[in-house]
Amino acid sequence: MPGPCGQLQQSGGAAVATQDSSEVAVSDLSRQQATSVVFGALTAVMPDLQVETLTEGQELYADLGLDSLGFVRLLIELEGKLSVQLVDEELMTIELVTVADLVELVESISLRAAK
Amino acid sequence: MSPEPDVAASGRVAAAGRDPLIPTHWFNILHDRPQYVTSALSRSRLSGAAKLAGHGIQLQQPFSLARQSLNTTDRFIPIPDEVIDLYAQYRPTPLRRAVRLEERLGVNARIYYKYEGANLVGSHKLNTALAQAYYYSRAGVKRLVTGTGAGQWGTALAYACQIMNLDCEIFWVRSTFRQKPVRGDLMRLFGATVHESPSDLTEVGRAALKEDPDAIGTLAGATGEALALAAHDSETRFAVGSGENSVLLHQTVIGQEAVSQLALLGEFPDCVVACMGAGSNFGGVALPLLGAAEDAGRPIRLVAVESAACPKLTRGRYRYDLSDALGTTPITKVYSLGSTYVPPAVYAGGLRHHSAGPLASAMYADGSLEAMAIDQLTSFRAGLLFCETEGVLPAPESAHAVAGMIDVVSQHPRGEAPLVVLVNISGHGLLDLNAYRSFAAGEVESVSVDEAGLSRSLTALEEFNQSIVEPAGQGIPG
Repeated sequence: MPGPCGQLQQSGGAAVATQDSSEVAVSDLSRQQATSVVFGALTAVMPDLQVETLTEGQELYADLGLDSLGFVRLLIELEGKLSVQLVDEELMTIELVTVADLVELVESISLRAAK
Repeated sequence: MSPEPDVAASGRVAAAGRDPLIPTHWFNILHDRPQYVTSALSRSRLSGAAKLAGHGIQLQQPFSLARQSLNTTDRFIPIPDEVIDLYAQYRPTPLRRAVRLEERLGVNARIYYKYEGANLVGSHKLNTALAQAYYYSRAGVKRLVTGTGAGQWGTALAYACQIMNLDCEIFWVRSTFRQKPVRGDLMRLFGATVHESPSDLTEVGRAALKEDPDAIGTLAGATGEALALAAHDSETRFAVGSGENSVLLHQTVIGQEAVSQLALLGEFPDCVVACMGAGSNFGGVALPLLGAAEDAGRPIRLVAVESAACPKLTRGRYRYDLSDALGTTPITKVYSLGSTYVPPAVYAGGLRHHSAGPLASAMYADGSLEAMAIDQLTSFRAGLLFCETEGVLPAPESAHAVAGMIDVVSQHPRGEAPLVVLVNISGHGLLDLNAYRSFAAGEVESVSVDEAGLSRSLTALEEFNQSIVEPAGQGIPG
């Protein structure tokens, strides 16, 4: 069974700018770097958020106030940061509760890119 | 209006043998006016948000469809080939000059109308139903549910779902469900399951029935019921017939065709008139004309015609509001009479939504469009006149547009150059003959707002907005 982003299309050799502005290949993201990408995307689409207050345990909806429209903005932001094209069919099946779920989504994108 | 030359020169239209007037792209006003991108209120600023702990976030729409509502990059967005092929079954739609109507009115104007009623389902709603069903089907969704007011959207979605092998379930506002039984037959003929709303199938419906067993229903309620059903089935999704930017985008095939058809006649309108439910038929015809006018550096007047029973623009307030009775969809800033307002039953059920969509609302707020409210008696008179002179019976909603257009051309001075007007006839009225018959028999009454209900609803709307928590150091976003 494919992962949550099993059919992601990725442009070759893409690099990701992490929170500390260093560039890392999408396929080489560590957990910490994936978290950095997520925090960057969250603060980009929700300017009220401060990166220092973000934790992986926070709930996207209940704690951060992210709604479905914000979720779409977030996915667009992640597409840009990761230089991938997200595919409808895979995204329709995922349900994210926490920031950690979002980090795992980015990790799965990284994993796919490495294959 | 056409996309950039490199796109137009792709040869796809000619190769497929399609009528070259059928647009190959949707026109995206958000490219020209990115300030209209919808901004939703953060749920964290609502009291009670903490009660939603454990609630996950899931896409209701396919990502490629949802992102259309936020796209500010592309002025033209390609229409999938499969959707163009389906459009080719009924597009381009006719654009005609209403010569006999001009003569009957004796006005100093050239009146053109675009007719969207000449397809199987009878209205413009098919333009977005086919597109949405295509994206949902491709994303692996098995069933679509929706709420419908007049029933035009429900009919269109039922047909589109049948084409795309999707199951379809429709919650139809009770007042029109009972007015138009034949339209329900049409939805069922296309394989849809149709429920009267409020129903006892959902908590939203049961709550409405408990409050008033004889409730006539609202589109917000029917939509809430559809959303509630979708929330309990992972293979089911909610589809929306108006208001969202992507829906207006799909409808721009109307205005793009009109630009081309008018150009063939050497014309460009001074004024565009369309009825206003949440904004899809209005946006569909008006936005490409607005873009073309700005390209040509010429002024254009856009007039939205609403029902006097539901005057969301002319009497509503520009506030954050819920769009449905369930309250789970994004909370956007719109011109609204308040989501608890129950408009009196009128035959133009498609104009009974309590609020305009966010894009149309933003345009009204910045003065890009004008609005007028028309009583249903005036609209039926205009609809019958249009039928007598032009041989087209407009849907009750479209009859409001005709009435608004007559008002506009009647005020144009004789000494000036003739006013060139384009009005969109969004659907036919052949399934509304009982309404026209009642009007002809003198049985249709003038219907205005329920003043007491409106006052209560606006109070609740203001209280809701006052309860929004301001983030530290910031005011409520403008």
